[in-house]
This record gives sequence, C-alpha cells and structure tokens, in this order.
Amino acid sequence: MNYIHKDLAESGRWHEMSLSEQLGNVGSDVDRIISWRKKENESYATNAFYRALDLLDLTISDKRWHGPKLKELCRLREVLCDSFFGGELYNTPLEYFSKYFYQFALVARKNS
Amino acid sequence: MGEARSQNERLECALSSAVERWSPKPNVVGSIPTGREFQIFLLAKMSEINLVNRSITLKELKDIASLGFGDMVKAVVDVEKRIMAIGGSMHADEEKFLLEQGASQDDLWGINIYPDSQEENRIEFDSMINVRPRQNNRSRGVESIELQKKIIEIVDLLIKE
Repeated sequence: MNYIHKDLAESGRWHEMSLSEQLGNVGSDVDRIISWRKKENESYATNAFYRALDLLDLTISDKRWHGPKLKELCRLREVLCDSFFGGELYNTPLEYFSKYFYQFALVARKNS
Repeated sequence: MGEARSQNERLECALSSAVERWSPKPNVVGSIPTGREFQIFLLAKMSEINLVNRSITLKELKDIASLGFGDMVKAVVDVEKRIMAIGGSMHADEEKFLLEQGASQDDLWGINIYPDSQEENRIEFDSMINVRPRQNNRSRGVESIELQKKIIEIVDLLIKE
C-alpha cells in the first residue's frame, strides 16, 4: 500500500485512534481544500484532497469499523470525491463535509 | 409516452422474471409475502448487492438494470479474486460489500455495465471509488490500459450471453 501518510500507516498509529479522531483529521484536509480553492490555488487544493482521501482510506482499512460503520465510510468517500469534482452526481458541496467532519473533531476533543 | 410504456414493459418483464427467480421453494420455511408486499419484497431482493463469483447471464443483468438505473448496472470488480459485486445503488456500497468479504481496497475498481450494448461498449470505466491518487489513478476512470484489459477479461468471463 502506497499511502501518502506512510508513517501513520506503517506504525499502526492511525489504527489506534478513535473514529472521531480519524475523521476529525480527515476534516482538517477537507477544510484545506476549501481554503485553497478560495485562494484559487487548485494545486494545493488537489494535494489536500489527496491527503484527505489517503486518511479516509486508512480509516476504511481499519478493521474496527468493518461492521455497520463501513457503509457510511465508503459512501462518504464516494460523495466526497464527487463533491471535489463539482458535485454533479450527489449535489453535495464541500462545505457540507466541513460541517460533517467538524462534529467528529469536537467529539475527539471532548474525549481527550 | 412511448418511452414511458417501454419502461413499464421492462419493469413488468423484470418483475415476472423476479417472481420466477425468487418465489419461495416448497422447502422454504416462513411466511410468504403476498400482493403489493410481495412486489416490494421482490424489488428489495432485486436491488440487493449480489456477489458474482461464477457467472451471471445477460438476461439477469438486464432484469437488475430494469429495476434500478434502467440501462445499466453498477459493479465493482475485484481484480485479484476475479469476482464482482453488482446491484448496489452506489459503487461505495459494493466496495463495502467486497471489503467485508476480505478484499483489499487497492484491487477494487468501479465500472458500469450496459447489458443491452454491444460487447465493445458494454463496460464503462467511471466511478468515484476509482479516484485513488496513491495508486496513480487520479480520475473516475481506470487510467491504466493494462488494468482496463484485466477488468474486461474478468467481466467477460463472468457474464454469459
């Protein structure tokens, strides 16, 4: 597996985090996509998108979520991709994901 | 109107095929749904995600298409295990289904199958789950021609005319 976040993947650190911590971190990169798009820097926005996908794939590979949660995670990935490319299929703006992930970040902080 | 009738005819045809396919056998224990309830049961059954690990006929694919997107069926192919999942409303649902069967995400590729099309146009490489930069696939398509060939080969083996 050729992850961008090799250290997190290989050390197993990502898989020690709670789901809220994982998704809260994915949300940080989603926020960066929005922020770089506002600054009209598509190259940086794309890099942030790739990092978000990378973290989301690490989350999807986490066997702890291979139950009912996996469906939401896989759907989340598909709709996020659509959203990045213009949201033609599911009509969901990136800003929606910002709110979605923020809730997880809040929970992660509450538990820490 | 003509198009709508044709759509209804396709639905009727798919439902009757589903009745044949899913009618409870004599040895099935449990209550048998009837009337409208039975139709809903059939629709739910037909929109379930199916694992294709041996073969599926074009007719079955057409039935599934009729009850879903009309002309096409979404599928996710596992190029390592040489199987596919079909019938989901989203590729993500089929991806999840195969992951739970022990697949590796790197081996899963989303396609659309058009059962009414000629063989050369039957497969469309277009799915959001294919966006996988860490595998150098940065679009919804399958960018590697080699991989496309492999997917076509697997799908051709799994679909019977």
